[in-house]
Parts: sequence; structure tokens; C-alpha cells
Amino acid sequence: MTLWEYIASRSDMLAFQTLQHASMIAQCVLIATLIGVALGIAVYRNERATALATGTTSLIFTIPSLALLGLLVVPLGLGVWPSVTAITLYALLPILRNTIVGLTGVDSSLVDAARGIGMSRTRVLTRVQLPLAWPVILSGVRTATQLAMGIGAIAAFVSGPGLGDQIFSGLARVGAANALNATLVGVIGIVVLALIFDAVLVLVGKLTTSRGIRIHA
Amino acid sequence: MSTTVTAPRGQEKQQQEAPIGSRWRVLLTPLAVLLVGAATIGYTRFAELDSTEARSLSLGFLADKLWEHIGLTTISTVLVLAIALPLGVLVSRRWMRWSTPAVLGIANVGQATPPVGAIVLLAATVGIGFWPAIIALVVYSVLPALRNTMVGLQQVDAALIDAARGIGMPAWRVLAKIELPLAVPVILAGIRTTLVLNVGVAALAGFIGAGGLGEIVVAGVNTSRPVTLLVGSILIALLALLVDWIAGLVTKALQPKGL
Repeated sequence: MTLWEYIASRSDMLAFQTLQHASMIAQCVLIATLIGVALGIAVYRNERATALATGTTSLIFTIPSLALLGLLVVPLGLGVWPSVTAITLYALLPILRNTIVGLTGVDSSLVDAARGIGMSRTRVLTRVQLPLAWPVILSGVRTATQLAMGIGAIAAFVSGPGLGDQIFSGLARVGAANALNATLVGVIGIVVLALIFDAVLVLVGKLTTSRGIRIHA
Repeated sequence: MSTTVTAPRGQEKQQQEAPIGSRWRVLLTPLAVLLVGAATIGYTRFAELDSTEARSLSLGFLADKLWEHIGLTTISTVLVLAIALPLGVLVSRRWMRWSTPAVLGIANVGQATPPVGAIVLLAATVGIGFWPAIIALVVYSVLPALRNTMVGLQQVDAALIDAARGIGMPAWRVLAKIELPLAVPVILAGIRTTLVLNVGVAALAGFIGAGGLGEIVVAGVNTSRPVTLLVGSILIALLALLVDWIAGLVTKALQPKGL
């Protein structure tokens, strides 16, 4: 059976798994972005809190994905939860780090000026600091998405959703018919998804970057 | 005035993060790793294990798997460096500059490949075992290492290269005396990343019977033994943290003076 025949004969299932993979990654990265940016805003002014937050996330980051999944399976059981938790935790570090770098990189005279014309702290944050830090934060989100794609593939090992299932069913049948096809479909599907997500994020960056700083970004 | 203070502060922070974090962590990491490691191994000695668990958690078996894991990681990292460093230097020579976007593009696509996919693909085409796993590890991590070497060399100030050429240094001396030493911090950071990454990818080698601590995790899931799964996962995590710590110290020690 050729690769095309394999895809054609299982197109429904493959489409479902691709969609599942994409939606899992999108949701995890979204949660990680919300947590990461909120955490970054909370800690960036305090050096100690910054060190603690980046230290903790880089500790998690150093732990290999298979080990983290294994550690999470024991309390959370097999399935969606350990996968989603692990992916979100991994996606956190680049987003948090870039949020902190982006926010500390904002020219403090701009913040002073905004305060000077009577803006409240919140308004300075939402109208001045976050828009200026946004390109940096977004590049963290891109890194996080790419990472999440690869880790999502391992999720199938703990019965998680997505295209990783193709890779592992290929593994289970190594040497038999369709083993290579299944693996190839899984790998290529994930690479293509990663490229599509990255392109979407670049587009999002173009559309959401404040017009005044687009030249620098 | 405050403008000039803020911008460099942000950069400083980034550079501080690159080595090993705050000072207390330098000793904390190995201590914590030792403690948790001892507790984990101790638990497997004294807990009541059924025969399936006992088989995959005996001291000899654990030591074998740990040793295999270190072997997988070391051999693949050495191979990656042997390929990525010379290749990185080659493609950043002036007459090879045209190839840079192509190489970086391939490197980006390579990074999007899930490591478990690379390993299973190798198993499906080459076969299972130690060497296919090594090939997969090398293929997977050679691209980030290559990219790091290129970036490291690219960020060297062109004026310094011009100056060195100007005082009559031949190209190879400029490379050896100026470009490489100035690129060392970035290259070393890349090697550290490669090494830690390889500890993680080597864990996936357990899927294709190439040995390593990943086999304990796989055995734990396949036989539904949470204790086995947990011990395997903890040992992999500890190994990664320890390797990262050692690499961090080495990175610091090898930093050229004057930078």
C-alpha cells in the first residue's frame, strides 16, 4: 500500500486526529500564554520573584518530556489530562521568559511619560508596556508552539489524543505492512501542522503589532 | 537619563540567565538530585515489589539502563559536535554565505519534526536497536547545534575581523584567534542545550529497544506498574538535571577571559 492509498483509506480518522492534535496544541498554548503573560506581569518588577519564576519553569523545562509525562500519569491517570498538563507546562517557559524580557525592555522614559499624562498603572500596562513588549512575547509563543507540537506526539504513549497515535501504531507494527506509512503520516502531519501554526502566528504578529513599532519588529 | 539605564538592564538579565541561575542553585542542584536519587533507589530496595516490578527495578538492571542512557547521550552528542562545528564554520565562511538562509530553513523544519517520530521512522526503515537510535539522535540534534554555531559566528563584530585582516592575519588565524573565541559563549550554550536535549531524546530510544532509562518507563506503562513508571521517570529527570548542571559549570569554566 502506498502512502497515498494509506491516507485515502483512512482519511476520516486521519482528519479527526489532525484536528484533535491541532486543537490540543492550540488550547495548551493559549492556556500557557494566559498563565505565562499573567505570571510575567506579576513578577517582572521584582528581581527575586523573577528569578524564582524563571528558575522553576526552567527546572520543568530541563525534565525530559517522557519523564514528565510519566510523572504526571501517576496522579492524573492515562489520557488527555497528563498530556495537556505536560504540554502546557513546557510551553510556559519561553512565554514567561519572553514576557519578562519584553516588559523589562520597555523604555522607562515612555512609562514615566504615560504616568505623567495621568494614565493609571493598568492603563500604562495595557496601552504602553504590553503593546511594546508584544513582538517579544509573540516570538515566545511561536517557540512554545513548536515545542508543544513535538511533545504532543509523545502524548499518544500515555493514551493522549492526536497524530502521535499514528507514530505509535507504526511503532507497534514495525516490520509489518503499513508501519512506515502510519509513522510517516504522523510525522509529516505534525511537521505540516507546526509550519501552519507558525505561519498563522507570524500573521497574527503582523496584524496585532502596534503600528508605531512595526519597523523594529 | 533613565533611558540609557533601562535598555542595558534588560540585556544584562538575559546574560545572567544563560549560565546557571543564582549562586545557591550551584550546590542545590546536585544535592537535591543525590537526595531524590538515593530516596528513589532506596525505595526500590525496601518496598514490597511483585516479580514484574522487581525484575525491572533490580539494582543491576537500573545500573545497566543508566549506563546505556549515558552511552546513548554521550556518543550522539560527540557525533553531533563533530558534524555541526566544522559544518557551521564552513557555511559561515564568506564564500559560503549564500547557503545560510537555506541551512537555517532546513534547520527550522528539522526542529518541527517530533523527536519520537524521527526515532520511530529510523526504526521502521533501518531497524531497531542501539545504532538506529544513535542515528535518530544525531539527525534530530545536529540542526540546532549547527544553527547555534552559525549564529555564534555571525554575531562576531565584522569590524574586529576587518581589523585582524588589516594587521595582516591570514584567514585561518582570524578564525582561530578572533572568530571562534568570540563565538565560544554562544557555541557552548548550544552544546549544553544539545546535551540536555539528547538526554531527553535518548529516553525515547527505549521505544525501539535501544536501551536506556526510557525502557523502564516503557516497561512501567506496558505492564501497568506505576512504581516502575515513576522510578524510570524520576531517574531520567534527575539525569537531565545533573547533566544540565555539569554542562553549566563546564560552560562557565571554558568561557574565554576578557569577554
